[in-house]
Amino acid sequence: MGPVEHLHMSVFSQSFSPCGRFLAAGNNYGEIAIVTPVSLSAPLTPLLFLNFLYFSPSLVYSLSAHEGPVFSLFSTDSHLLSAGNGEISAWSWAELIKRNTKAAWTRRPNYKSSLEIPEINAMTVNPTENSLVIGGGDNNIHIMDLESGVFKSVLQGHTDYIHCLSVREREGEILSGGEDGAVRIWDHRTGQSVHCIEVYKYEECARPQYGKWISCLTTESDWMLCGGGPSLSLWHLRSMSPTSIFPLSGCQRQANFYQDMILSVGEGQCVSHCLLGGEVKAQIPCTPHSLNTLALNLNSTDNRVLTVGGSSHQIDVFTNLSYRTFSLSF
Amino acid sequence: MGAVTDDEVIRKRLLIDGDGAGDDRRINVLLKSFTKWCNSTGSPEEGFTQYQRMLGTLAQCEFSMGKTLLVYDMNLREMENYEKIYTDIEQNITSAHDKISECKKEIQRAKRIRKNRQEYDALAKVIQQHPDRHETLKQLEALDKELQQLSHIKENVEDKLELRKKQFHVLLSTIQELQQTLENDEKSENDDAQESSMENGE
Repeated sequence: MGPVEHLHMSVFSQSFSPCGRFLAAGNNYGEIAIVTPVSLSAPLTPLLFLNFLYFSPSLVYSLSAHEGPVFSLFSTDSHLLSAGNGEISAWSWAELIKRNTKAAWTRRPNYKSSLEIPEINAMTVNPTENSLVIGGGDNNIHIMDLESGVFKSVLQGHTDYIHCLSVREREGEILSGGEDGAVRIWDHRTGQSVHCIEVYKYEECARPQYGKWISCLTTESDWMLCGGGPSLSLWHLRSMSPTSIFPLSGCQRQANFYQDMILSVGEGQCVSHCLLGGEVKAQIPCTPHSLNTLALNLNSTDNRVLTVGGSSHQIDVFTNLSYRTFSLSF
Repeated sequence: MGAVTDDEVIRKRLLIDGDGAGDDRRINVLLKSFTKWCNSTGSPEEGFTQYQRMLGTLAQCEFSMGKTLLVYDMNLREMENYEKIYTDIEQNITSAHDKISECKKEIQRAKRIRKNRQEYDALAKVIQQHPDRHETLKQLEALDKELQQLSHIKENVEDKLELRKKQFHVLLSTIQELQQTLENDEKSENDDAQESSMENGE
């Protein structure tokens, strides 16, 4: 990997392992890097600096996963799923830990035209049905059964490609946000679009100078966060009304609910902490100039870290949410 | 056994009084002067002064022995004191740890409460924008009443219209019949007149 390629690298996706001890990150060259964050949350003792030294290239190894960029990564209990240009590969975590770089399986949804292969932008798992929900460049959502590998159904309705997906387990709904500015809510059993919220039509959210696309979507019980071209806004799903708008200047690419706060990353060299009421509490600076992905390690109790990646070959690690602890290099 | 204790004794003595200045030397000097005094052949005053001197040295030895005993007692008591402080501090540390974990739980609870409050506030803001339900209901009721009244009036007007239409119809038809009868009468009069003139003309 030459220095020029290093300079042009972007990290598009991240995922923590189910045990919480490993981080997988995918970049635009089709590589996935596996990092071992060893006891990241130790207090500031000399040991922490020793850990810094531990993150030498020997603990960060990368495998070449796809030919195109790895846009989306998702961890199930035993496998890491990665998606790039039109195909999904699964890697067993146990094998990855042993540095065995052979994929468990590779599948491709049924696309209508075989001429162009649409990219897969977002993947998520519906735990109640044990199915994988995929959204990508062909404007449709494909649902695949994880056990059998059969593509069960296709949800059609978006008029432009899909950026992001989210699943509400309790109500059995799939939410998708796309380039056409619409957030569609689908019932996973019937496959019909139950609601369609066009965020850019609401005056308080719309930012016509940026466009109408929705690039980040996340849900938690009755609340939904969505943003992109329009400002990041918090919606109450029962009443389908926007409750708070966050005054963040760039376009947000990923947002998460965490305890009583909202963490969001996007254009702009910082991680924004916001309160549910609509105020921006803090903006923590970090190395990449524009951030694409944010991952929280909630699987392990003693490794609770936040990692962000974006248009740089470095991934920033935050052990305490208030400041950047150190950076990992691809 | 004898050798071991000898070594120990030598080590201890060297530690305490290695350089030979102090109590050890004083005791040796006392012994030497005692033997010299026992075997002395000098005058009784000399012997008496020597005896006094020896008593003085003996007193000095006793004094230093008493001092060491007191220091030893003091050290023992200091040790006890330090042990007590040590156990106190350990207890404080464990209780502080417990308090910290309690506080952490409190923080989690408070964060959840704060989150709920914020969600409530956000929803309340949206709800406040909509008008009060009672007022809207009242407005609806008033509008309903108006609607009923107006439909009542409309019915009345329609009935009247029907009645008038029927009356006019009756009027017009009677007029037409009268016209017909009048025309018929005129015609029959004319016919009669023509017949009579024709009869007269012949």
